[in-house]
Amino acid sequence: MDFNALFGDLGGHTLDGLTKGSVYALVALGYTMVYGVLRLINFAHSEVFMVGTWTVLGVYTVLGADDTSGMGMVIFATLAALVAAVVASASVALAVERIAYKPLRKKNAPPLIFLITAIGCSLVLVEIFGHVLRFFFGPPFGRAPVNVPSPIQTVVLLDVGGVRITNVQVFIVVGAILMMVALDQFVNKSRLGRGVRAVAQDADTAALMGVNQDRVIMLVFVLGGAMAGVAALLYTIAFDLTKFDIGFIIGIKAFTAAVLGGIGNLRGALVGGLLLGIVEVYASTVFNSSWADVTAFIVLVLVLMFKPTGLLGESLGKARA
Amino acid sequence: MRLNTRAGLGAIALALTVTATACGSTEDNTAAASDCEGKIGIMGALSGANSSIVLPSVDGAKLALKQWSEENSDCNIEIVEFDTEGDPAKATPVATKMATDDTFLGVMGGAFSGETRATKSIFGDAGLTMISQSATATDLTQEDPSPVFHRVVGYDDIQGQAIAKYLSDVIGAKKVFVIDNSDAYGEPLAAMVSSELGDLVVASDKTQVAQTDFSPTISKIESAQPDAVFYGGYIAEASPLLKQMRDADIQIPFIGGDGLYGAGFGEATGKAGEGAIITCPCVPIEGGTFAEDFEAETGEAPGAYAAEGFDAMQIFLDGIADGALTREAMEEFVDNYDAEGKTKQIAFDENGDVAVENVVIWAYKVVDGELVPDQEISLG
Repeated sequence: MDFNALFGDLGGHTLDGLTKGSVYALVALGYTMVYGVLRLINFAHSEVFMVGTWTVLGVYTVLGADDTSGMGMVIFATLAALVAAVVASASVALAVERIAYKPLRKKNAPPLIFLITAIGCSLVLVEIFGHVLRFFFGPPFGRAPVNVPSPIQTVVLLDVGGVRITNVQVFIVVGAILMMVALDQFVNKSRLGRGVRAVAQDADTAALMGVNQDRVIMLVFVLGGAMAGVAALLYTIAFDLTKFDIGFIIGIKAFTAAVLGGIGNLRGALVGGLLLGIVEVYASTVFNSSWADVTAFIVLVLVLMFKPTGLLGESLGKARA
Repeated sequence: MRLNTRAGLGAIALALTVTATACGSTEDNTAAASDCEGKIGIMGALSGANSSIVLPSVDGAKLALKQWSEENSDCNIEIVEFDTEGDPAKATPVATKMATDDTFLGVMGGAFSGETRATKSIFGDAGLTMISQSATATDLTQEDPSPVFHRVVGYDDIQGQAIAKYLSDVIGAKKVFVIDNSDAYGEPLAAMVSSELGDLVVASDKTQVAQTDFSPTISKIESAQPDAVFYGGYIAEASPLLKQMRDADIQIPFIGGDGLYGAGFGEATGKAGEGAIITCPCVPIEGGTFAEDFEAETGEAPGAYAAEGFDAMQIFLDGIADGALTREAMEEFVDNYDAEGKTKQIAFDENGDVAVENVVIWAYKVVDGELVPDQEISLG
């Protein structure tokens, strides 16, 4: 145990934790929104994120953007990658809903069937990128990690008392928080958002009041997918790589973050994600990285023991602006 | 009528039995008549992030068989490949399959140490000889030897010594940061490097398999201010680790063991991988007929463990040529083997290792994404 390492650079470690946690939080939104409305844990959501990272790779490759690109190209490539990743992730999320979940809902399938279908969709998407696409197109598809070019170079923006803040960290944390504030405002203030909350509270009554339930469900998947797309771009900027099963660990962590903050609660996803990221980095620093998951899950168990509904506890339906 | 049907059915059944017996005996006769027939299994990560460490050795083995079959055309020896993705859990059913099929005379593998550890008792019970081209964990032979397990490469303790020597003598490092991946391969290798380096180790960290964010490790490196970093683990994690190091502007030498020895390392790491040093108990094969034949066969230069794969297969083939067509005979042949291979003089001691003085450890450098031989690390 090395508490000196932690307290010697507490600011730096907290910043690392916030960066890590921001990505968790963005992905956690997808789990939490779908759960809030459908009471379904959409395990395929981790692969919605994975598709986003591959889309970023595709856009960079097509545009030829890499670390030698000029400023104009960097901005253009990043924006193009953002739009493409959001569209791709949202489309995959929507496709999963239309192809897999909607027919089940029509048949009033029990919750267990949804759960196993979600896991099935997740595996199908993983194998499409790990095996099927490789079969048809060869590398870079397949099971090996793939280098994603990094047009955005890491530079230290600020040095506050020994805590070095890089442009990438600022981009990720600010980007993630902006997206979440926007989503929170959308759900709490807009007309469509009111529909989402109504269906989350009481689907039948909402339907009687004229809320188009199907459209709300589609909207929830699209929004969650779009957030995963943004997360995918931020992730590739930070780590410059993707892999067919990259969503697995992130998905588990994001789901944990959602539960930690209170599943079904948008702000809970943010709190849970950031807290989880910070706990992991602190644990890795005090012990070592092999203890990150152990510590994170001990924190989860402790929180749930005293507050079984998670830190913020409220459901999507009850959340008020 | 009823009686007739019964009689008819009985007759058919009898006929079938007779035919079946006849077929059986015919097969037995042919098997005995044909002098050499059999299968050699290959077990390893034929797909997945780490497959580039394994596939060239499979090509090497196939080349050995092709060349041998041209001289021994009356033989019918077949290579059967089993993909384990390097996962011990996927290797055990594969091992059982080979162990229970008497037509298998030997196994080349396991390619990795974890899968080898998980399966060597299965092969041991079946008396099926294993020759690994690349499983280097020390305990496989030194602590828990199995009579059926042999390997044509040196083990990690030797590699650990070589890495330590390279760090202190070639790089001239005074402060080394040691990282491992907490698994059966990386942890003992890093421990060996650390114990050899002694006081030169300034700090260390343990990471996990499948980890992608190494920011805590990076912080530790930054505060320890080492002049070299050693990583014991595989490509899938080394690649993001090294990228994040270079992103954080840590430009000190990075050295890894043979777990990074594969074409995939350069591809996945990109520019950050340039200049990384990777050690391997595998000998660079340049020039000579092997490299030419290998390129003619596969269209590529010999990659990781290609020549070791050739050597391992050649031992089995020599055994078959010598008439070792049962598992017992093959085991005896391999135990007493002593011949010059493509990579080194090959003879196994009672633990299944080649003699330490014949083991060669090479350092390779990543140049333009390719592994280029840098120098032999002399242990003398």
